[in-house]
Formats: sequence, C-alpha cells, structure tokens
Amino acid sequence: MTPLEILSATILGEPTPRVPIFCNLLDQGARTLNMLPKQYFSKGEYVAEGQLKMLKHYGHDNVWSASYVGKEAQLLGCNKILFSNNGAPNVADFVLKSWADIENFVIPKDITQHPQWESIGDCLKILHQEVGKTHPICAYVTAATSLPVILMGMDKWMELVLVGPTDLRDLLVKKCSDFVQQQLSAYRAAGANVIIYANPFATTYFLPKKLVVDWSMPWMQQDLKGGIDNIVFYGGMAPINTVTELVVDKLNINIFYPAPEDDLIESKRFIKGNGLTSGVLDDIKMIHWSPEQTRNEVKRIMQLGKPGGHFLFGTGFMPMALPEENIIAMLEAAFEYGSYE
Amino acid sequence: MFESYIEDYNEAVYEIDKEGAIEVVEKALQEGVTPEQVVFDIIIPSIEEMMAEIVINADTNLAQHFMTAQIAAEVTEKMLAKFKIPPEIIGRVIFGSSHGDLHSLGKRIVIGCLKSMMIEVIDLGVNIKAEDFVNAAVEQEAQVIAISSMMVHTATGEEGSSRVRSLLKERNLEKQIKIVVGGAPFRFDHELYSKVGADNWAADGVTAAKMIKKLILEVKT
Repeated sequence: MTPLEILSATILGEPTPRVPIFCNLLDQGARTLNMLPKQYFSKGEYVAEGQLKMLKHYGHDNVWSASYVGKEAQLLGCNKILFSNNGAPNVADFVLKSWADIENFVIPKDITQHPQWESIGDCLKILHQEVGKTHPICAYVTAATSLPVILMGMDKWMELVLVGPTDLRDLLVKKCSDFVQQQLSAYRAAGANVIIYANPFATTYFLPKKLVVDWSMPWMQQDLKGGIDNIVFYGGMAPINTVTELVVDKLNINIFYPAPEDDLIESKRFIKGNGLTSGVLDDIKMIHWSPEQTRNEVKRIMQLGKPGGHFLFGTGFMPMALPEENIIAMLEAAFEYGSYE
Repeated sequence: MFESYIEDYNEAVYEIDKEGAIEVVEKALQEGVTPEQVVFDIIIPSIEEMMAEIVINADTNLAQHFMTAQIAAEVTEKMLAKFKIPPEIIGRVIFGSSHGDLHSLGKRIVIGCLKSMMIEVIDLGVNIKAEDFVNAAVEQEAQVIAISSMMVHTATGEEGSSRVRSLLKERNLEKQIKIVVGGAPFRFDHELYSKVGADNWAADGVTAAKMIKKLILEVKT
C-alpha cells in the first residue's frame, strides 16, 4: 500500500500494514538544500525540492506545500517577514495596525492571482506531479477566528474578541472567512489532499467554552461551507480534547490532530471509531532527549494509539534544533512499533 | 458587605466582564472603600484567587488570564493615583520578548499582574537583544530580567536567555539579577528553562508574576 492508501484505509477503519506516520518537516528544507531560509522560501520549486529530498531521506509519509504560516499574512498584504536561520519565519509587520483599519481591510478577489500565491502554486504543482498519487500532500489553513492574530497580533485580537465592539470583530472574521474559503478551494484545486485547519480560537485553552460554542463554531461552519473533505481539525498545538465532541457534532469533522498534552485514550474515545485521531509526539522535549528516550516515547504513543486503529502517528512542527539522530530514531521506532503485522 | 465586593469582582473577572469588574470597584469607592483597600484587599487577592483556580480547575483559559491581568492593571493604575501615600514598590523588572520574537500577549498578561502587585515594569518591547536586556537591568537597577519567547528557536537561540546568562556571568551580576522565562516552548518542556540558563519559568502569566516577586525578594535579602 502507498502512504496515501494507508492513510485513506486508516480513516475508513480498513486493515493496513502499519500506522500512517506524519513528520512535519518544514524549516529543515533550507538546510537540506544548503540554502538560507529567505532564499529557500522565495521559490516554490525550492520548497518542493526540499520536501521531496527530505521524504526520500527520512521515509515518512507526508509532504508539505505550506512554506510558513506568515504566507497567509503576505497574501493579505503583509510586506515584512522576519527570517531566521534557526527557525520559522515570523510576521514582522502587522497589516492591521489598529481596530480602525478593519473597515477598509480588503481581501484579494482571487488569491491564486496574487503574486504571493505563485510559490505555493508552483510547489504544489511539482509535489502533485511527483507524489500526488502516492503520498499525502499537506496544506495549512488558519481558521477565520484565528487568522486575525497574524494580521494584528495576538493581544490586539484577544482584546477585540473579548471586550471590543462585536460588529467590528465579526466584520473582520467575515472577511477572513471569505479568505479561508478561497484558500481551501485553491489548495484543493492545486492538489493538496490533507488540509490542516488550525483554530486555536476554537479551543478552551484560549477561550471560554461558551464563546467557542456561540461564536467560534458558527464561523467554522461558515469557513467550511464548501465541504469538510480532507479537513483535519488542529488547535495550533493547544489541547483540543475538550472541544472534539463539539467539532464532531457541529461540523461533522472526524479527523483530528490533537496536542501532545491531550490524553490519547480520550482522543480516541471522542471519535467513536470513526475517522481518525493522532498521537502527537512532543518534539520540543525531543530536542533534549537521547535517541533511546525518543524510541521509548514513540513506543508509548503507539501502544496507546494502535488498538482499534483509526490512528495516526505525528509530530509538532519539528524545531530546527532537533538532533538528526533523534529524528532518525523517532522514524525507525515509528515504523517498528507502528506495524500491525 | 466588603466580602460581596470581592465576590462580585472575582465573578466579573472570571466571566471576562471588564465593565462589570470596573462597576464593582466604582461602587465600592462610592460606598467608602479606600483605593488602598481596592488594590490590596480586592485586586491582589483576585489575582491569587485566579492562581488557585488555575491549579484546581483545568477549564481556566488564556482569555481569563489576559483579562484578569488587564483589568487588574487598569484598576490599579487608577487607584494608585488616589493613594494618600504613594505605595512602596517591591522591586523592578526588565521585560521583553527575546531576539527574533515579535509576540506580545504573554508579556502583557504578566506585566498586568506585576503592576497590580506593586512591581515596577520596564517594558523593552519585542525582538530584544540580550545586551539590551542586561544593559537596561543595570541602568534601572532591576532585580529580574523577564524574557518571553513563543517560538522554539527564539527560546533556545544564542541571542536569547542563554546569552543573557553569559553576559550576567561575564559581568559578575548573577547574584543581583535573576532571569525568568516564559512562553509556549517552556510549557512543552518543563526543564527547558534551566537549559537556557534561566533561574525559573512559569506556565502562565499569573504564576509568572508570583515567581518574579519571589525572585525579587530573594535578591533583595
């Protein structure tokens, strides 16, 4: 079976030789091609080449079309990204300087015609040609209720959500939701077959449950009115178990990517034998583990997750500080302990 | 009667009702409660209450932490202007996000709590170099440098807390100035703070403020 077939069968609860193994290598692509991140992320061809080289080198199941989260801000007018040689690029200039800018904030009519889409489109074209029939190709889309964080900063957005004028808050979310819907269509059309739909502002780590139910969920329904095919709900590394049942109930999503802190047994219980949930290794702790500690943690996650199937092994967004020997130990252990044979 | 102010204020803060919390304070003042009592007997205990709630109730959330701190800081600032005698400041903290890091929410939460706990804060902003943290701490005679990092590479990078530690060591300042770190990477790896040379860390803003206060008092004794 190809990795894509294994993933599809796992979601359906059909027999597979092993657990799907997702390893989210993004920033490491530059190092793989001996480039600085700014150069690496400048062209879709480079990102695709980096992804394919890492796939060959490590042998995990998935590739990534997204270059970095700040790309969404660039599609919405951000002109300054702070690149680092040691980690993920960071939004360095907010599109919305104050709440007053929301009124005139405009989203592109067609993001696929935006110059910033070019590298994403180019990357996806290559990945689709090379591994589209065999491997999951992941894309990252930030939900409308969380997207303003990269447009105005977390604190300004949190303030607007909690104590600001609700009409202004919802005007911005409406614009963001239109953008999210465009992104989802564009990614699907370009060949992404796994869409990580990230919404920290739909978790009770960020907001009170009432606000999640009354405000976040309806906007998620709006974001996803084009369908939930290939959608994976992700809390942006915030725990999601407290909202998983709600997401199943309100949105019919049944594929989840929890945080390492989430209790895996609970995560599995919430999906009720449908779809898929993931055991996510804490790759920040892994920076300072030995290869043996890494193997033990993979074994532990697999032992918890495998019974009953509908289970994927995954990582966070692998920090660049991770030692190579730990990445290799993790993947070796994942294939060994993830086997059903 | 006084108990009801505390109860109503706490309830408003817990429900993220800023207007409600301010109304409680205004009512208390109108009914004879002094600004000093508002700060020391309502606001600070409310922060303590939230801290206790974090330990026993996993359902508290970032929104509550943020608003607790913002309301506390706002009310405290208003009350301080009305104090009969200016309050004694416990100590001074240099605060900023680490080099390469532009996140500011966590910083604002901790600063809000610190202000209401009578700790002076000098906020250097975001993307701050290690040298600037140390120079500011020396110039301002601060007891603590607090560094917020939301990304792994800014938490563990050579220009972050590790470099601040090296500079303090080089300049023989380790006894006078302590380092506290916070932010998402430290939440995932509870030992990470020591690996980047910090004296301590905290999982949330409210606990961080208490931690910083403890370190200030240690330095001063």
